[in-house]
Amino acid sequence: MRFTIVGAPAGGAPFGERSTMAQRPWLPHYADDVAPDLGEVTFSHLPDLVRASARDYASTIAFTQCMPNGMNGSLTYAQVDALSDDFAAYLREVVGLAQGDRVAVQMPNCLAYPVVAFGVLKAGCVLVNTNPLYTPTEMVHQFTDSGATALVVIDMFADRLPEVLPRTSIETVVTVKISEFFPPVVAGIIRMVQKVWSRTLPTVTVPHTAFQAALAAGRAKKSTDALPGYLAGIGHDTVAALQYTGGTTGVSKGAMLSHGNLVSNTLQMIQMCGGYMRPGVEVAMTALPLYHIFAFTVNLLGFYTLGARNILIPSPRPPSNLKRAFENYKITWVTGVNTLFNALLNERWFLDSPPRHLRASAAGGMALHESVAAQWRAVTGTPIVEGYGLTETSPVLSFNPFGPNAKDGTIGIPVPSTELRCIDENGKEVAPGTPGEIAAKGPQVMLGYWNRPEDTAASIVDGWFRTGDVAEMDADGFFTIVDRKKDMILVSGFNVYPNEVEERIAALPGVIEVGVVGIPDNKTGEAVRAYIVASTDVLTENTVIAHCRETLAAYKVPKSVRFVEELPKSPIGKILRRELRAEAVTSATASIETQGRELS
Amino acid sequence: MISSLIVSAQSLATQAQVNPDEVVTDFEQTLLLIMVFVIMFGLGAGLTPRDFKLALKRPQGLIIGFLTQFGIMPLLAFGLIMLFLFQLDPAYAVPVAFGALLMGAVPAGTTSNIFTYFSKGNLALSVIMTTNSTLWAILMTPLALAIYGSFIFTQEAQLEIPFTNIVATLVLMLLLPVIGGMILRRYSANVGAVMELLGGLVGVFFILFLMATWVPRNWNLLTTTPWQTYLVAIGLGLFGIFIAYGIARAIRLHPANARTIGLETGIQNGPLAIAIVLATFADDPNVGLILIVPALYSLFIVIVSTFVTIWFRRANIAAEQKIPNLL
Repeated sequence: MRFTIVGAPAGGAPFGERSTMAQRPWLPHYADDVAPDLGEVTFSHLPDLVRASARDYASTIAFTQCMPNGMNGSLTYAQVDALSDDFAAYLREVVGLAQGDRVAVQMPNCLAYPVVAFGVLKAGCVLVNTNPLYTPTEMVHQFTDSGATALVVIDMFADRLPEVLPRTSIETVVTVKISEFFPPVVAGIIRMVQKVWSRTLPTVTVPHTAFQAALAAGRAKKSTDALPGYLAGIGHDTVAALQYTGGTTGVSKGAMLSHGNLVSNTLQMIQMCGGYMRPGVEVAMTALPLYHIFAFTVNLLGFYTLGARNILIPSPRPPSNLKRAFENYKITWVTGVNTLFNALLNERWFLDSPPRHLRASAAGGMALHESVAAQWRAVTGTPIVEGYGLTETSPVLSFNPFGPNAKDGTIGIPVPSTELRCIDENGKEVAPGTPGEIAAKGPQVMLGYWNRPEDTAASIVDGWFRTGDVAEMDADGFFTIVDRKKDMILVSGFNVYPNEVEERIAALPGVIEVGVVGIPDNKTGEAVRAYIVASTDVLTENTVIAHCRETLAAYKVPKSVRFVEELPKSPIGKILRRELRAEAVTSATASIETQGRELS
Repeated sequence: MISSLIVSAQSLATQAQVNPDEVVTDFEQTLLLIMVFVIMFGLGAGLTPRDFKLALKRPQGLIIGFLTQFGIMPLLAFGLIMLFLFQLDPAYAVPVAFGALLMGAVPAGTTSNIFTYFSKGNLALSVIMTTNSTLWAILMTPLALAIYGSFIFTQEAQLEIPFTNIVATLVLMLLLPVIGGMILRRYSANVGAVMELLGGLVGVFFILFLMATWVPRNWNLLTTTPWQTYLVAIGLGLFGIFIAYGIARAIRLHPANARTIGLETGIQNGPLAIAIVLATFADDPNVGLILIVPALYSLFIVIVSTFVTIWFRRANIAAEQKIPNLL
């Protein structure tokens, strides 16, 4: 491996003062080839990391985008490097952006994504990953909050721009095609299918530059002397990305992830996987969206650093979209969420011919069900481990060690150079086996929330980031999530904040009171359910859901609505979501059990 | 030789009350051949050797397909004949019945592969089943005719089965292009996907072409045929598909395999039946009557299969796993 991993120096760990066995009981449980500390990080920023990979693996294929019918396009490391330089030059020389300017990027997994993301970083700008499924309202919030002045967007979703742009500070729009960098004939066919058959290509009515034109303009102005200058002064503590997350209050906030955060977390993750991640040979199934922090760090940065080939899947829905990719490429790694693993295990073609070259799989985003993990191991004959983390922590905090030390049903042990502890309400560490909120310390913990010092101060206390997740640590230092401290609902790894949904529903005429909770769901982990006290019979489940759809992303929209006489309340009149949830869980568990039987 | 297997309505035209001016031209025949080749090549480009290995590894489908092909279809033809055709004047009914029985006894045709593809069935299984039933037909078709024929006919006919023709068609129009497509995909997934798309488009055109050209050509036949004959000619394919599909579902085969078996069973090799009749009964004054069911069947199976395919596709989409957005 190229990057140096220095073991813990003799006579003491380089990491803080809390390094004794009693405080880090997980130390003996790392896999044999994994050092418990990261050691010196030699990359000064993300462009440094990606350029080093491009040098080492220049002619290797870095990314292949595979469409459901097998049509594909690829870019080598050298191409990604040159093209992202072009894009950096475009942003700085043609658009005239300055260091630290925010660039919003909104696209599904496609070949343009790495070129754009690396280009933004190489320009010294700040990447603002944006979910393409966002509604105009959500886009406006994210763009105005981040103060983004440029937007790189997939053309398929550009029809919302006339409504969005006037309410933001965005001045430059670059549009990319899903077929970017495909062979011309194939790209033409895909384009024609989009235009004529699926009709997914709206006319872009706002002033914009096509991606290839932007690259050409950047290339014309590019000079090798100027490129390093874009990064002058950028170091570990410079913000690299604003990654939006609901946080605790329900208002979407930008977690400031620094170059140091992301470089460290990339290296921590690779180090934790030890020999399971071999430089220069891995082929990773990238079905999770790169705009999400999990795939961003693990797949885009992690596998790129390793010299691996990322197989980009623009849309994993339905799961049969992955069939050709599994057939045509020798997949060695799958990263996913419980939903994806479970979905694949319910596909006949996958069970018939599980990937023969698979080495290991990693799950995150939401709890990996033990039954899914067991079945995945049985079907593929390879290990799958669960990790844990948050947007605010770049994201990986803990990981189950590969090998005999793994403990199913737990989120594993902290990744190298990371400390986790469970604390009580006063911030005091609780005894092993006692539930407490997880607090985390490590080089991957964000700088803070963008423009929100109070929120930052509330979440990072004395250098420890408070996750809001309640867990227990066992005597070996393995953590098990018990509950979420807040009422946040986790729908397929997306955070849904009841406040936001409740506010939306409360705006409907006839709604007296509303309480939104998460209920267990076979497919999404949790699903949103609204309990409504209504003054009129006119209100129906469908009208509520339709109303929510107007401004909320699909995953936030309640899956079910119950009309009730009254909501449980505390003495001071606060709606008790916990009691609502308890009631919902009791009624839902029965139905899940029946569904489970049908599946098996 | 081969072209006569694909479309032999030419000879039919003069003998089965079809307008003699509306004959199929050499150009049309060549076009159909090229189309079938392009289609099968394209569909082959969607397959991998592993698909075939899997279809062979789970031989239930293959076995059920064989049983429905040579067990159900001749029996179904026999039943339809006894129930409906024999209501008619024996001078008409007997030769027509022979054609109907033959139609029930021939193996599956290439068209079944095309419809299986569009139905999101198991194309590898379909190709294996077509190959399997075609090779077995050399033995099974005369056998089925002899068994059921002994109940219906007083005279026995010595069938002329064009063996070379059957095997040549199988190899040239099915196996060769499919293998070619698979090799192409291995060489380039992109070229394979483009060919597959092209094959699919040509497939749609092929189906429309068959319907558009066969109806006017057989217009005379269509207007003078009694409803009992229609029922036999249409029912053979329609009931064949659903009985086989029902059996496959009942024994819990995967829906994709059940769809395949249904189409594979119900869709017979019409052109082969026509070729056998022409080879065997060229000098028989009744040849025009014997050809009625094979000709009508060949026309209506395209229409029936199209509707079945639309239904199968809907069922398939409805059965796709609905998963939420991942992250």
